[in-house]
Amino acid sequence: MTTLTPVKPPDQERTFVPRILVFSTNNISDPGIDLAGSSHMSYSPGVVVISMPCTSGIRPSWILHAIDHGFDGVFIASDGDECAYLADCSVRASRIVAQAQALLTKGGHQGQRLKMAAICSVCAEPFTRHVQQFGQALATLGPSAVAA
Amino acid sequence: MNDYDVLVVGAGIGGMESALKLGDMGYRVLLVEKEASVGGKMILLSKVFPTLDCASCISTPKMAASIHHPNVTTLTYSEVDGIDPLAGGRFHATVKRKARFVNETTCTGCQLCETACTVAVPDQFNADMVARRAAYIAFPQAVPKKAVIERAGSSPCSYTCPAGIQAHGYVSLIRSGEYEKAFQLVLDATPLVGTLGRACYAPCEVECTRGSLDGPLPIRRLKRFVADIHYEKFDGPGVEVPAPNGHRVAIVGSGPAGLTAAWQLARKGYAVKIFESAPKAGGFLRLAIPAYRLPSEVVEQDIANVTALGVEIATSTPVTDLEALHADAYEAVLLATGTPRSTTLGVPGDQLDGVMSGVSFLRAVKLGEGVDLSDKRVVVIGGGNVAMDTARTARRLGARDVTVVYRRSRAEMPAHHVEADDTEQEGVHFVFEAAPVEVLHSGHGATRGLRCDRMEPARPGATGRRHPEPIPGSTFEIACDMVIAAIGMAPDTDGFSAHVAADPSGRLTVDPTTLQSATPWLFAAGDVVSGASDITRATGQGQRAAFMIDHWIQDRNLDGIDGFDLRLSVVDKAQVLARQKAYRLAVPADPSQVLSPAPTDFREVELPMTEAEARRGAGLCLDCGVCSECGECVDACPVDDCIDLRARDETFKVEVGAVVVATGFKLFAADLKPEYGFGTFKNVITGMQMDRLLAPTRPFNTILRPGDGKVPERIAYVLCTGSRDETVGNPLCSRFCCMYSIKQNQLIMGALPVADVTVHYMDIRAPGKRYDEFYEQAKAMGANYVKGRVARITEKENGDLVLRYEDIEHGGGLVEAEYDLVVLAVGVQPNSDAQALFPMGALSTDEFHYVAETNEDTDPGRTSIPGVYVAGAASGAKDIADSILHAGSTVAQVAAYLERTKVPA
Repeated sequence: MTTLTPVKPPDQERTFVPRILVFSTNNISDPGIDLAGSSHMSYSPGVVVISMPCTSGIRPSWILHAIDHGFDGVFIASDGDECAYLADCSVRASRIVAQAQALLTKGGHQGQRLKMAAICSVCAEPFTRHVQQFGQALATLGPSAVAA
Repeated sequence: MNDYDVLVVGAGIGGMESALKLGDMGYRVLLVEKEASVGGKMILLSKVFPTLDCASCISTPKMAASIHHPNVTTLTYSEVDGIDPLAGGRFHATVKRKARFVNETTCTGCQLCETACTVAVPDQFNADMVARRAAYIAFPQAVPKKAVIERAGSSPCSYTCPAGIQAHGYVSLIRSGEYEKAFQLVLDATPLVGTLGRACYAPCEVECTRGSLDGPLPIRRLKRFVADIHYEKFDGPGVEVPAPNGHRVAIVGSGPAGLTAAWQLARKGYAVKIFESAPKAGGFLRLAIPAYRLPSEVVEQDIANVTALGVEIATSTPVTDLEALHADAYEAVLLATGTPRSTTLGVPGDQLDGVMSGVSFLRAVKLGEGVDLSDKRVVVIGGGNVAMDTARTARRLGARDVTVVYRRSRAEMPAHHVEADDTEQEGVHFVFEAAPVEVLHSGHGATRGLRCDRMEPARPGATGRRHPEPIPGSTFEIACDMVIAAIGMAPDTDGFSAHVAADPSGRLTVDPTTLQSATPWLFAAGDVVSGASDITRATGQGQRAAFMIDHWIQDRNLDGIDGFDLRLSVVDKAQVLARQKAYRLAVPADPSQVLSPAPTDFREVELPMTEAEARRGAGLCLDCGVCSECGECVDACPVDDCIDLRARDETFKVEVGAVVVATGFKLFAADLKPEYGFGTFKNVITGMQMDRLLAPTRPFNTILRPGDGKVPERIAYVLCTGSRDETVGNPLCSRFCCMYSIKQNQLIMGALPVADVTVHYMDIRAPGKRYDEFYEQAKAMGANYVKGRVARITEKENGDLVLRYEDIEHGGGLVEAEYDLVVLAVGVQPNSDAQALFPMGALSTDEFHYVAETNEDTDPGRTSIPGVYVAGAASGAKDIADSILHAGSTVAQVAAYLERTKVPA
């Protein structure tokens, strides 16, 4: 007579997949990110992309809002010095990043939850590399504290 | 539209650079680009030489800037139709905004229309190596990232359909496996999907461009295919019943015109009632067309579409008092009573027993009035479709012998030739060029034969058709028991004379556009207006009547009414054939009819199509109009009213102070060197195609050869294809082919480390800063450069290619070498579009047909017309760096001109 041993249920604890909000730009970084998808490159399913005309239009408060409401990190895919609207776009963008990081710290989050890099219109591979590394960094930080 | 300081024609790198620099100087610039995106050829390239910078990374910021610059207005998918000089050194330009069929403002670039589109055409932005959709966004980096729907015109099949059915649309839906959507597309025109799928005379197939290759598509049978599938699954049309709009319309007659009008009005919410004098609805569909061609169940299914929307059909209810109908709160009345009267023979004996008309014979059979022709001999008189139906029906009722007598020749028969052929195959005899003189009778008054005269064709009469004359003394007799005359039908409109005028043959007189009679609430459509035609034309008339009645009830005014016919002009078939890159010739689809020489029952003679046959048949479509008007994009678009297939080209005039011609160049058409086999050998590609294979946005995400998808290991380049070659009329060096080939060599060696790259050259021209170093670098990486021109390329069975060339550096002998892939380094050709912009001959060209500069050494950019300048490769071969440089000097000239002309002379 054989005894039936109960099958052990699979490990319920799932690995932490950081949720990353990406701000892209309509004409330059978004096509590059789009290309990553259409070339079947792989990047984390936790990445969500919002496209806008210009990086300098991002408000620092949006970033705090995103982290407060469940995103673990925000990645700004900027145009760098190639913005079609503003010659000083990257200066403004770095100011926004500094302000946002200050807001994050004030709100009880780590400043590392915000990252910015220039992504060109065909920078599919650099983009996937950036979000992968960022994801790993966020995994080390752990989930963000969701505002009550 | 505002006026501008400068018009720049062409938004490649030269045009964009000119526009941006002029904009920076404060001039207001209008930049016009014919494609759907700015960027020209540069955005399509992999890298630039000699820096190996990414071409798209450099282009996209400039592209984005050109549409965002406050001083630059950029119009894509637009063309300059003409530029005329004005007094004071200014110009009048005519600009055409080609219809995109997509609202540029509200399109979000989501690509859902692209995914939904059922038409695939070669992708010009991938050098025709892959397909794109008819609804498309040029490429991922397109600026603006807005969709365009390419429409070359109406496809001949859809254009010719008298019933207004989008034939190309339903064919392309069937090709995509969307059978129900195909059915619904036909329903948009008419409820008679099953009927027209069987009994239409299919003018679409006559017009099908494929007819000149291997035979037309089975367009009509494809419609039957989707109808069969639909009716297997659903009773009724499968559409929502619209909310009533509170208006009532009466229709007299339930034939194809009446039913279609009722359907169209009911879909708009009208309460429609049809009055039918016969005991069954359907008109000739139900009472004339025999069941072996159109089974009654199919007609009933089609009619059920109409009744499912709440249309009432009162049978056995002839209408005599139109005024009473109108008084009964029917705001409009449509007469669609067809042609129930038959023309009599008009010869002695035509009133005898055993003489009847084709229509009454067919009606008696269809109503099951027990007609028995067993062992009878029947003569049918006439050469139209009713005569054919009558003869074939008589065969099925057991007639021993059926003879068709027609007074003209076989070629002149009005019956469709297929019908006549089928009739003959069913054992019916034909006597041509004979006319009845008398019906003969036996002593008891029964018919015993027909006496006829032989006819001879006489001179063409007033109508152009020859009127046959009897040949004296040629009389002969045909013994028979029955004579059926199918020689003509006429309307029966006596009862309507108080409200609407009629011509002597009884046809009602209405406005040909609005179908409205002199009594405003009374309309008429179909055969009662046109005289006997066919169900397809009657269907189209019913649709028109519904459109007009709707407008009349809503607006009470039909003056100058427009918008019923939304067709574009028909495409030129020669252009459709020229556009094809490759097509296979197919065995024409089998008509799949079961014809018996002695048919005994009314089973349908045409077999249904299998799904495989339907898919194969639809797959042969050449997409003549490009867009098939299937409507999938409209359904898929998440933005209201963003896609509008009714959009049309818009032309406007603008005054400008100066013009920059930046129309660029064309690439040499490699098939003009047949010895290299481009277009025939699949693994011979052009330099532009290799650039696409190497680009970050490359179609296959790797380098492979098109013939079999193999990753090539032995790659050869043939330099100077179409350059420095008197045999193709181009003695000029194209200046950048050596360099782009060297660039590609390095990229290939980077991407495919095991690949061998060999370049066959005349001499390497690398005369720029770091250009020669770039060449040396490629050599150092392992590319092999062989001096000597390639004379011929041949293809092996496995797709490999054999190059035959003279090995100059090793004794000059003839050598053959084998490769997996051959790249033809095609050169530059002038783009003659520029000359056409100006009055004939005004814009001078050099002896090589490039736009001539008055003095390219001391006065670059200046053309033969004061105020018109040229930038970039329109004036001769230039690489990217030189084009930008040239645009810069041109811009300086333009600014000087504008400042100078500001000062009054």
